[in-house]
Amino acid sequence: MPYLSSEKQLTFIKLAVLSMAAILSFATRLFSVLRFESVIHEFDPYFNYRTTRYLTEEGFYKFHNWFDDQAWYPLGRIIGGTIYPGLMVTSATLYNIMQFLNITIDIRNVCVFLAPFFSSLTTIVTYLLTKELKDEGAGLVAAAMIAIVPGYISRSVAGSYDNEGIAIFCMLLTYYFWIKAVNTGTILWATMTALAYFYMVSSWGGYVFLINLIPLHVLALMMLGRFSARVYVAYSTLYCVGTILSMQISFVGFQPVQSSEHMLALGTFGLCQLYAFAQYLRAHLSPANFELLFNTLVTTLLATLGTAVVVLTVTGKISPWTGRFYSLLDPSYAKNHIPIIASVSEHQPTSWSSFYFDLQVLVFLFPAGLYFCFSKLTDANIFIILYGVLSIYFAGVMVRLMLVLAPVMCIVSGVATSSLLSLHVKDIEPKVEKHDKKKKHENNLVFRSEVGALFVCVLGCLLTSYVFHCTWVTSEAYSSPSIVLSARSNDGSRIIFDDFREAYTWLKMNTPEDAKVMSWWDYGYQITAMANRTVIVDNNTWNNTHISRVGQAMASTEERAYEIMRELDVDYVLVIFGGLVGYSSDDINKFLWMVRIGGSTDRGAHIRESDYYTPAGEFRIDGDGSQTLLNCLMYKMSYYKFGQVYTEGGRPPGYDRVRAAEIGNKEFNLEVLEEAYTTDHWLVRIYKVKPLPNRGA
Amino acid sequence: MKFSLILGITTCFSVALADQETLVLVDNLNIRETHSQFFKSLQDRGYSLTIKLADDANLLLSKYGEYLYKNLIIFAPSVVEFGGQIDTEIITKFIDDGGNVLVAGNAASGDVYREIATECGFEMDEESAAVIDHFNYDILDDGDHTRIVVSPKNLINAPTIVGMHNTQPILFEGTGIILDKENSLVLPILTADSTAYSYNPKSQVKEYPHAVGKKTVLIAALQARNNARIIYSGSLFFFSDEAFNSPVAKVQGDKVKSDLSGNKALAVHLSEWAFGERGQLRVRRVHHHRQGEKESSNTYTITDTVVYKIEIEELKNGKWQPFEANDVQLEFVRIDPFIRTTLRNKGNGVYESIFKVPDVWGVYQFKVDYDRTGYTRLYHTTQVSVRPLQHTQYERFIPSAYPYYVSAFSMMIGVFLFSFVFLYYKEDTPKSKMRCVYIFKLSPQHSDIQDGSV
Repeated sequence: MPYLSSEKQLTFIKLAVLSMAAILSFATRLFSVLRFESVIHEFDPYFNYRTTRYLTEEGFYKFHNWFDDQAWYPLGRIIGGTIYPGLMVTSATLYNIMQFLNITIDIRNVCVFLAPFFSSLTTIVTYLLTKELKDEGAGLVAAAMIAIVPGYISRSVAGSYDNEGIAIFCMLLTYYFWIKAVNTGTILWATMTALAYFYMVSSWGGYVFLINLIPLHVLALMMLGRFSARVYVAYSTLYCVGTILSMQISFVGFQPVQSSEHMLALGTFGLCQLYAFAQYLRAHLSPANFELLFNTLVTTLLATLGTAVVVLTVTGKISPWTGRFYSLLDPSYAKNHIPIIASVSEHQPTSWSSFYFDLQVLVFLFPAGLYFCFSKLTDANIFIILYGVLSIYFAGVMVRLMLVLAPVMCIVSGVATSSLLSLHVKDIEPKVEKHDKKKKHENNLVFRSEVGALFVCVLGCLLTSYVFHCTWVTSEAYSSPSIVLSARSNDGSRIIFDDFREAYTWLKMNTPEDAKVMSWWDYGYQITAMANRTVIVDNNTWNNTHISRVGQAMASTEERAYEIMRELDVDYVLVIFGGLVGYSSDDINKFLWMVRIGGSTDRGAHIRESDYYTPAGEFRIDGDGSQTLLNCLMYKMSYYKFGQVYTEGGRPPGYDRVRAAEIGNKEFNLEVLEEAYTTDHWLVRIYKVKPLPNRGA
Repeated sequence: MKFSLILGITTCFSVALADQETLVLVDNLNIRETHSQFFKSLQDRGYSLTIKLADDANLLLSKYGEYLYKNLIIFAPSVVEFGGQIDTEIITKFIDDGGNVLVAGNAASGDVYREIATECGFEMDEESAAVIDHFNYDILDDGDHTRIVVSPKNLINAPTIVGMHNTQPILFEGTGIILDKENSLVLPILTADSTAYSYNPKSQVKEYPHAVGKKTVLIAALQARNNARIIYSGSLFFFSDEAFNSPVAKVQGDKVKSDLSGNKALAVHLSEWAFGERGQLRVRRVHHHRQGEKESSNTYTITDTVVYKIEIEELKNGKWQPFEANDVQLEFVRIDPFIRTTLRNKGNGVYESIFKVPDVWGVYQFKVDYDRTGYTRLYHTTQVSVRPLQHTQYERFIPSAYPYYVSAFSMMIGVFLFSFVFLYYKEDTPKSKMRCVYIFKLSPQHSDIQDGSV
């Protein structure tokens, strides 16, 4: 670039790096689309997709008032009041804009590519945020890192159309505006923070983390004696505007002023006012008088507050701590008390290896970054330190929150990398100068230059390995749509198992429109979205009793299950069975959760987990297994006619390839069900519930 | 026009005919004579009877998937195995597809009978066992006390099945039946007296008899869930001319005497019921709508007032006519019934109920389950959604919230006024300087930008 001034060159390079990072973050998420097709992944995205379709077809008001009679039969679900509508509104808006511009894109494709698009935006916001914290160099490194960090990709590949996909963007945007607001102290930035916060609230329940982190930041500043008018203006504006805005989301409602999760924000707001008021008084009173007044006020206030909290909790105005929040603080809480929460795989505690798997080199750079943050403590740095430390803790508690950790890891690591590089590159670069002064400071300079070069090399290697690792993880672990499975055959070619869609299409084409399908709740969203049939329970696990009833049906004998199924007007039952192809997350492997959840309510008190184990305490499906297990509905539905099938060479018929055992109950007939459909690889089996016998029992 | 009329008439006729096609399976063609009165009563009512030997090798119930007969009468106790394509499985399938069956056996009836009985929820006593009653036998009894006299009081209380005026004692000679306790659909049409038992009259009673006292059912019936009807009589003699014409005189006890047995009346009634001439109900129309509206709706809002109408018809003399009753109930069900109410008879077979939908949202069913002995089971459900209020349906202003409205609006006005005060307040010190300083203090960045651009 000989024609550009060095300043312009710098701008150009920055722009180039940033836009490449943004494009890369979009491109790296497309593995699944290239490998399979443009489909929605997993379970929850199907619900989001269905609601988005409804929103675009019927308009916002119908969407807002939508009472869904296809889910949770016969209870139904008020969709408008029980979701975070941000995601659907975003994609519907994008869709409408494109339609307006005569770009005729299908709503499904909007949904599929929304998450990659928003991760591009996240990349840019990360750059801005890090720039605000440190400098542009750190911003660029952080942007490049977040573009490919697996911890974030895991939830934002193309087709993974979920709240988190846009929520991370909203969260970082809020942080960016917040840092801006704290740094400048203007109402404008604080209001922008509130707006970004509103967007965040409208799109993800994880906003609770945000509304606790910011007050914590304010408190920390207060304690460190850094509380200033800037922070006061920023926080007061954010809290007032943000809270009022957040209450407009009907799912959130009055929670911001009632539930204990939001009390920290409210308390900090009050404290801010008191603190500012105290400062004001101090300026106008003599120290002795102030002391007296201060002490009296503090005692009265504390007493009043304490009483108020106790009274409100007792009268139930402040809702008790919800289960999900308890499980954040005490990882064993959910497992001991609420099986429905513990059963979700993404609510499990994180193993240390998954930290490395999802973050790789960032794990090592993070402490270094923290060091650099501490070494130059500013208001913004305190925020990022708090964010980092807190999210590490929460990510350790729940796998799902790795997502919140990944951005801060990138930011802090970006700071670290940039600081280290600028420190050492400086040493290598002025080689000519060094040559001249070589004789004067021999030892020192030679040593520094070599170390600098070595260091840059090592860091370069680490970063390169990071890139390779991230791409490999994305390609291998996070790009399978889970609705279509693939496996390698013996000759290395890819085999595709499309059984799920096969089964859902069968349901759609061959069952009456008002047929009710019972399955374990995992598949509820997919059945309603793809087969367009009524389900008893789905992934929105809002009613424990109802799920428990289904669990009881699955865990009972046929006769008892028949009563439950008739009570719920069930026409078809759908089970997932992986024993033939070796698909391990099938219903038999989830069965113990059904037993636990089924037994967790009064009506399921007769279902005891211990009955399903062998006397030695093992969960076995072979001949040694417990008789209760071998005769329950789930077992019979999974293994109906499986006893005659040869699955693996050198094994007896009825050999289950997931459990690696020959099934224990082979010869049985179904009394109250009849097999309606079994897919190609037996992954999905559908049974029809027989009517009452014509000539009586 | 004329052609279509003729066509219509022929179709009606043929439909009517198809309903009357009846296959009669007999042991020997002699039964045609011994039971002529019964068969004649059927023929008089328009049934076309095809009488065949039970072991005829060409027996057929259906051809090319179409049933040739609507009704089946089996008067063949001594048959060991049916001929042609008929066996127990075919007969049960015939019932499951809606065919009506009338079976009469006697003490000698074989295993085929037992199999059919088991399929229908009855249990027939062992071979050669007969119902014996030493206190209620007829004077013409041959000494075994098996020709018993049964009081019409032992009939089931269901006029639709047995008719209104059964006053004559009934003659019975044959085997006893017991009912499957698990089966809720079977009906004991005629039970024996408490002194009766079922055993082989030729042998000494060594074990506890199969059926004793009132548990001994002489004639049983089953109305299947698809409304196919089955009458199962332990006695073929019951339908015979001999029983129809015979006088009755009890030897023991109250010594009831009658010139004529009640058999004929009862047998005719039973056949009328079994072949669907009586007790047939159907739902003609169901309509439900919000009160004050005409159109039906699939969705109601909580606490709506709903009008539910159902029109029920009964088959009388071959014609569908309005059904009159006062005990038809409606349930509004979401797993459990939230509302259960008796429908008002509005005349002309229309039943109506007006009620308020509960204040609980969900998917409900209007459920009419009219199950009366002898009548078709009337089961009709309509699924509707009950949704919560829409965002426009809530009250705008709630009286109890007035303090909040006042505080909100006063705050708004206050801020508005305050902004004027703030903007135009003049302090004593020289104003230009002061204002400058103020702005600079408030937003340092802003001033920087201004400096830069100027």
